[in-house]
Amino acid sequence: MIAVAGVTKAYQDGAVRRQVLRGVDLVVARGETAAVVGPSGSGKSTLLNILGALDVPDAGSVRVDGVDLTRSRPSALAGFRNRSLGFVFQFHQLLPDFTAIENVMMPGRIAGRPTSSLSAQALTLLDQVGLADRAGAFPQQLSGGERQRIAICRALVLEPAVLLADEPTGNLDSRSGEQVLELLDTLRRRRDTTMVLVTHNPEVAKRCGKVLRLDGGRLKALGE
Amino acid sequence: MGFVWHIAVRYFRSTRADAHIRALSTLTAGGLAVGTAALVLALAALAGFQNLLLEDLARHTPALQIELGGGSVPGSALQGAATTDPVRGLAALAAATNGVAGVQELLYARGWLADGDRPIAVEVLGYEKTPPPWIPVQGEATPGLIVPVSVALRMGLAVGDMVRVVSPRPGLTPVGHQPRTRMLPIDLIYMSDRAEDTDDPVLVPLEQASALFARGDRRLDLTLAPEADPEQVGDFLRQGIDPTVATVTTWRQANRALLFVLRLEKGLVFSAVALIVAVASFALLAALSMVLSSKRAEVGVLAAMGAPPARLQRVFLLLGALLSVGGAGFGGAAGAGLAAFLDRYRVISTPSDVYVVDYVPFLVRGTDVLVVLVVTVLFTAAAAVIGARKASLLHPVEAMRSART
Repeated sequence: MIAVAGVTKAYQDGAVRRQVLRGVDLVVARGETAAVVGPSGSGKSTLLNILGALDVPDAGSVRVDGVDLTRSRPSALAGFRNRSLGFVFQFHQLLPDFTAIENVMMPGRIAGRPTSSLSAQALTLLDQVGLADRAGAFPQQLSGGERQRIAICRALVLEPAVLLADEPTGNLDSRSGEQVLELLDTLRRRRDTTMVLVTHNPEVAKRCGKVLRLDGGRLKALGE
Repeated sequence: MGFVWHIAVRYFRSTRADAHIRALSTLTAGGLAVGTAALVLALAALAGFQNLLLEDLARHTPALQIELGGGSVPGSALQGAATTDPVRGLAALAAATNGVAGVQELLYARGWLADGDRPIAVEVLGYEKTPPPWIPVQGEATPGLIVPVSVALRMGLAVGDMVRVVSPRPGLTPVGHQPRTRMLPIDLIYMSDRAEDTDDPVLVPLEQASALFARGDRRLDLTLAPEADPEQVGDFLRQGIDPTVATVTTWRQANRALLFVLRLEKGLVFSAVALIVAVASFALLAALSMVLSSKRAEVGVLAAMGAPPARLQRVFLLLGALLSVGGAGFGGAAGAGLAAFLDRYRVISTPSDVYVVDYVPFLVRGTDVLVVLVVTVLFTAAAAVIGARKASLLHPVEAMRSART
């Protein structure tokens, strides 16, 4: 589960100090999906980065899957990200020098998993998203929807406890977006994964168990 | 293949795709190849010349010398040899030492050669048994003089002429103190193989030289068995000889200044040529920086997926090694091969009246090639560490954001 209490974060923008998060509290139970909505620049991605141990808050505590992220060393956080978190980035962020299956296998390679079992697992995931026949293709040979589905497979290959997705359908047409959301929902139910989605799209937010609005640096629940 | 190899090898392949990175990586490999080849060639040329020089030196210098002060040697100088003639005692002590194959007594003095009214100052070398090896004369000692051609030409002398050897040491005669002199025949005239022949000595049999120049500088030249180590034999002899009376010098100590100059020359040439490798290492740093710049977002993604900074650093260290090992290896092999070819077929000729050889000799030493490769590795490793450190310091969020802006 995710438990955030009193998190604040500010950035120095030249001479101006911009307070992005002002005492954010958040609890997402295991297997639950939470959507974070809000206007651009409201701090959604910052919150997601803090939940993903990619950024540190100025104050407050963040516990994800039982680990206090604010009290861990950077090397421990790297291991935690690899072991317990899956990321789906807004712009898929696939590695262009590697094929689809190599991209999916990458977190496992970082973890030092044996290549043979990892490859089988990656192929199973690709099959689940209908891309088994595209395993050997490079990202530039794939459509936007295919890339995002591969990014989701990559995020799930090590079966993380928590999946963090930043605008997972932001750059997709409605049909591809629908496919991606179906996939996330199926995988969540199958693996009991905790998910936090950042989105602008009210339709996407509606499909989540919990909807939170971030505005003026504060998080407010809109409904469950 | 582990994560680090997997990423580094793929990034290495991707350097072929980008024109700028390809140009820089080619420049790196080419620069390292030229640098290592130039270093190996330069060291081989130096080693070739120095080897000839040292061989010549070894021919002309005894492995060990025992230099005696002028005049008598007190018996106490010999801490183990009991003899009435201390010089002979030293010679006996040396001859009995393990590893010593032969001992020859020499006497150095300044005197004159006089033919009628034309005396000229000469170096006199008293010798026993055979002329020293650096005098290009074969055979046993002769009863007369062995004269350098420079002296013979100046005095108009020929073999068989009688000439007077004059010593500054006076002798008491019925008309008072007079210089000691002795008429001796010229048995041989030799042509020195040294570039500067002005100080070539006139060789006089030791018995005659001792009678004329009793206070000359006396020296024992020791020839060693092939397997004997001059340093060890020298150390052993020093233990038995009073250093205030006689000093034991190895050929290395006797030529200390020359050997230092040779080492200095080698070091300076090496340093100068190594600058090529240094410049190539800058190119490597630029290539790595460019790869990192183009892969910035990807490195950020890898970090976000949990790749620790140390492993990302290793990726770029390995990439640096992959970019440089081909060039350095090829350069080292090409340099060694070219040096062997140039030496085998004596491609570069030199004027034989100026140098001791009529071609530029090359000698490729394994240790020299190893040093070149080690230095190349150090330079490139330094460049790679700087580049790799940049990669490890990337903040994943900033790196991924940079790709979108």
